Amino acid sequence: MSALLEFDDVYYRYPGQDHYALEGLSVAFPEGENIALIGRNGAGKSTLFLHCNGLYQPNSGQVRFAGHPLKYDRPSLKSLRQHIGIVFQNADDQLFSASVAQDISFGPYNLGLSETEVRRQVHMAAELCGVVDMLERPTHALSGGEKARVALAGVLAMDPDLLISDELMANLDPWGRRRIFDIFHQLRRRGKTIVLATHDLNVVRRWSTYVVVMDGGRAAFAGTPDQLLADEATLEQTGLAQVWFDEV
Amino acid sequence: MHIIDCYAYSNKIRAVDPAQKAGLAVTVLLLCLLLNRPLVSLLAVVWMWGLAVWQAGLPPLVFGRVLLAELFFLLLATVAVALSVSTIAPTNPEAWLLQIGPLWLSSTPAALYNAVNLVLRALGAASAMNFLALTTPLVDLVELMRRLRLSPILIDLMTVMYRFIFVLLDSLNRMVAAQESRLGYSSYRRGMASAGLLGSQLFIDTYRRSQRLQTALDARGYTGGDLRVLPTTYYTSRPLLAVSAVAILSLLALRLVL
Repeated sequence: MSALLEFDDVYYRYPGQDHYALEGLSVAFPEGENIALIGRNGAGKSTLFLHCNGLYQPNSGQVRFAGHPLKYDRPSLKSLRQHIGIVFQNADDQLFSASVAQDISFGPYNLGLSETEVRRQVHMAAELCGVVDMLERPTHALSGGEKARVALAGVLAMDPDLLISDELMANLDPWGRRRIFDIFHQLRRRGKTIVLATHDLNVVRRWSTYVVVMDGGRAAFAGTPDQLLADEATLEQTGLAQVWFDEV
Repeated sequence: MHIIDCYAYSNKIRAVDPAQKAGLAVTVLLLCLLLNRPLVSLLAVVWMWGLAVWQAGLPPLVFGRVLLAELFFLLLATVAVALSVSTIAPTNPEAWLLQIGPLWLSSTPAALYNAVNLVLRALGAASAMNFLALTTPLVDLVELMRRLRLSPILIDLMTVMYRFIFVLLDSLNRMVAAQESRLGYSSYRRGMASAGLLGSQLFIDTYRRSQRLQTALDARGYTGGDLRVLPTTYYTSRPLLAVSAVAILSLLALRLVL
């Protein structure tokens, strides 16, 4: 089990704030796993994500992808962002184009592909996410669930090795979530690694094969769900014990 | 979704090259303005309405409703052309007069003709634009401008603005609902205060949103420059081309006869 993405003693403070959002974060995301990232609001999950593909740069410490430290010059970032795709929580923040097909084509064009290749990638991603029949529809006429899948397709069209999803399903109904998980299962079969931030402990139990618990800007735990359940000290310390066993 | 937008996306000639539709609309518009004859303008309205129904498959009433809304504004604006108001009785022997208290309301056949011509001319031009707006979504018009080599930065701005009209409208509706449910508009004073808060909040919301959009674009490998996306493929409709030619020729012919 090799680490695809590693954080090594990363500190990050938002400009103008006096506390660190990431405070000595060290964690490794293993390749080919379904990784759930859990933790309270403000534990640093979104900040962690924005470090993954070089959108933010650590104040100190190091982020490594496939063993290589991230470099922050344009060409390096470009190739990094091809390998690591991020889907954001609110699809409306991501979809900028009025046409679904055009929005999905944005990422592949940024990779420098030709029009034929772009069309192929758009079709591949649309098929995978079940949005083929929406390609000619305007973005603003989609439902929340459809928008989430189009946003996902826009990232998958770049064919990333690692897919990071920041609470993509928080606003979706159970059927919408089901469809997203179906897509995740297909990605798993294609050997992709998925990191999903979630507040849903059922997802941790049923879907994930690896869990990272964030607490106060650090990783309080990283391991399999069974290991986490057996680790009473961590459960107690992170407050998970209070919510895991007796959800209302 | 807004009604004009809705038909623009779902009509029968949606996939026809926007250049073809814009070409027809702009030609008819120019003919209305240049030929400047009431009957020519009236014929233009009939053609545009007819083509929207016959070629694009729009319900006749939809085109009519849009036109009616425009007619309302046109009538308001042309009242001043048709009528004149003065405190002394007009001396023109052709004038129709009406005295209300100290004021004389008057009109002449020439003024009336001018007003009618103006209304019809504007209505003809408006119906040409309606035809375009109801059959061609903005995405296609933007694509057309891209082909006409309009500045890429303008095109990107239009793309993003059009998209965010709907996003902001959505934010606005949700904020107003939240304010109303806490009685934010229960009195005139409260209403003014709430509307002020709404405005500033919307501004902050827009700013944050633009930052998140930037982050999301960067995450998909955007490194500045144009927002490149797939061009749409269109087809040229021969029947529409033929009918367009007939329509334009008939407008010119009518002008020659008159």
